[in-house]
Amino acid sequence: MKTDKHSNDGPLEARSVIGFYHVDLQYKDQKALSNVHFSVDNGEFLCLTGPSGAGKSSILRLIAMDAFPTKGEVMVRGMLASKMNRRRIPQLRREIGFVFQDFRLLADRSVEDNIAFAQLVVGVPRAAIMKNVMRVLTQVGLYGKRQRKPHELSGGEQQRIAIARAMVNSPKILLADEPTGNLDPVTAQEIIDLLFRINDGGTCVVFSTHDHQIVKTFGQRVIVIQDGRIASDVKRRVPVDRTASLADQMYRGTDAATAVDNIPATARQETVHA
Amino acid sequence: MLSRSQTSYLFRESFAGFHRRKLTTGVTILIMGSALLVLAILTLITFNMGHMLAKARQGIDMRVFLRADLTDTQMAELQPRLVVIPGVKDVTWISPEMALNEFKANLGEDAGILDMLDENPLPASFHLTLTPGARGLDSVRAIRDEVADWEEVSEILFNQQWIDALEQWTFRFRMASLIAGLIVFVAAVFVISNTVKLTMAANARVIQIQKLVGATNGFIRTPYLAEGMIQGFLAGAVAMGLLAVAGWLFGDRLGGIEFFSPAQIGGFILFCVTLGLIGSWSAMRKYLTMRSEI
Ligand SMILES: Nc1ncnc2c1ncn2[C@@H]1O[C@H](COP(=O)(O)OP(=O)(O)OP(=O)(O)O)[C@@H](O)[C@H]1O
Ligand SMILES: [Mg+2]
Repeated sequence: MKTDKHSNDGPLEARSVIGFYHVDLQYKDQKALSNVHFSVDNGEFLCLTGPSGAGKSSILRLIAMDAFPTKGEVMVRGMLASKMNRRRIPQLRREIGFVFQDFRLLADRSVEDNIAFAQLVVGVPRAAIMKNVMRVLTQVGLYGKRQRKPHELSGGEQQRIAIARAMVNSPKILLADEPTGNLDPVTAQEIIDLLFRINDGGTCVVFSTHDHQIVKTFGQRVIVIQDGRIASDVKRRVPVDRTASLADQMYRGTDAATAVDNIPATARQETVHA
Repeated sequence: MLSRSQTSYLFRESFAGFHRRKLTTGVTILIMGSALLVLAILTLITFNMGHMLAKARQGIDMRVFLRADLTDTQMAELQPRLVVIPGVKDVTWISPEMALNEFKANLGEDAGILDMLDENPLPASFHLTLTPGARGLDSVRAIRDEVADWEEVSEILFNQQWIDALEQWTFRFRMASLIAGLIVFVAAVFVISNTVKLTMAANARVIQIQKLVGATNGFIRTPYLAEGMIQGFLAGAVAMGLLAVAGWLFGDRLGGIEFFSPAQIGGFILFCVTLGLIGSWSAMRKYLTMRSEI
């Protein structure tokens, strides 16, 4: 959605679901982001990467409107951070799914109750809850373990449950902050594959990682954040064939990633949108 | 509005705090109930003193004694002048003979000594009954001051001191109840606030997830507000229950003490519920303004 404010200078695309417009973010004593400017299209799959403390989580926080820019503007699904009424934040959150490195499941509830909880508290009728829980559990391949408690699952399984919970309200955007941070490489890749499938369903997915291996094999758009600034924003040209084997994907992805890594950051910006 | 599943969730969650910490909550409610009992007793005393005062005021009457040398006509002329004084409802003539009989009745067995008198020493008087509105000390004094100037009048008596004292004591008790009420109020709000804080701390993760998936603040806070109100209600009920037991045990020794009316009991418990609401409200400010920690 355009606003007058934006129309003079680098308008945010109409088809964008997320738009950052020259955003600064200042925590109490710490500048976290400077002049971050990018937009994300409907259905896009975006990887945020960069060293620890670069500002990846801060970007996701701004998208979720759990933080607000000190300068610039953030637009999420047509809602502007500067004009956001606090009372409408719950509405926005229902259109965004979240996944974290530490899963954040409720330990005392079964897997299906964990997922149902996300629907219950936003007022979905019980019959629909049961149907939706079944749907997402099947989607993440854990319907058979629906009655287990989180601690009776492996880390990868717990993360898939967290993803199922994030998806149960059918959000338009899925945000994942280092979703593979606690997982071994193979399990991590399985999670990324699951994110791909979710993205195939039309959901815009934004995830952060500092796992080099994942970045290398990721055949989609990658934004590198460094010191609170966008160091590069590259849309990989290599289409990733998701029917191909994992090894195959890794192999092909590696080529693209290496190619990108070899271009100087300034040159890379040209290949980019924004 | 809320869906059925939400409503039943909220209902369950409202009691979850009790469920998790049965003993702590039970003890807390008992302690608060005892504090509220003190408040209830003070309130009850204040109420009863109020009743007594009202009754005593009803009993306020004036006796206007007349000079002994007045003729019957002079006396008869006084009656209409007394009746028209504002605040005077009724005027009864009391002859010296009637006064003597009254006096004899009061003396009972000892009335015999009066037979030694060859002459009735008691003066005639008028007995004034006052309208309810004129039973305050000020208006009683105003009437006295007016009548005292009349030359036919020798003396005016009324039960002023007793009512004066009662009024003062009622005032003191009312103040004491108010101060005690304030202390109990603050303490109970603090205690409830703390137990609700405990529940919320235990539920921090749950609250975080609720915010994350888009539950409204109104929805998130409802069970905690309810928990505080339920605690207030139970503490108030405990106080009333203890008071009823005390009344049953000692009631006959306390004579004419009047217990709270059902409406007053309802009011007291409503006060306790409000107190719980304020307690839990103050507890949750921190939690609802906190970031979702994404
Ligand atoms: N709530 C906060 N208050 C103050 N400073 C913060 C807060 N959150 C993050 N920061 C600071 O902002 C900067 C960016 O933090 P952010 O969490 O966005 O980094 P990140 O890229 O996600 O790092 P990591 O990979 O370690 O998760 C860091 O310097 C961090 O110390
Ligand atoms: Mg982070």
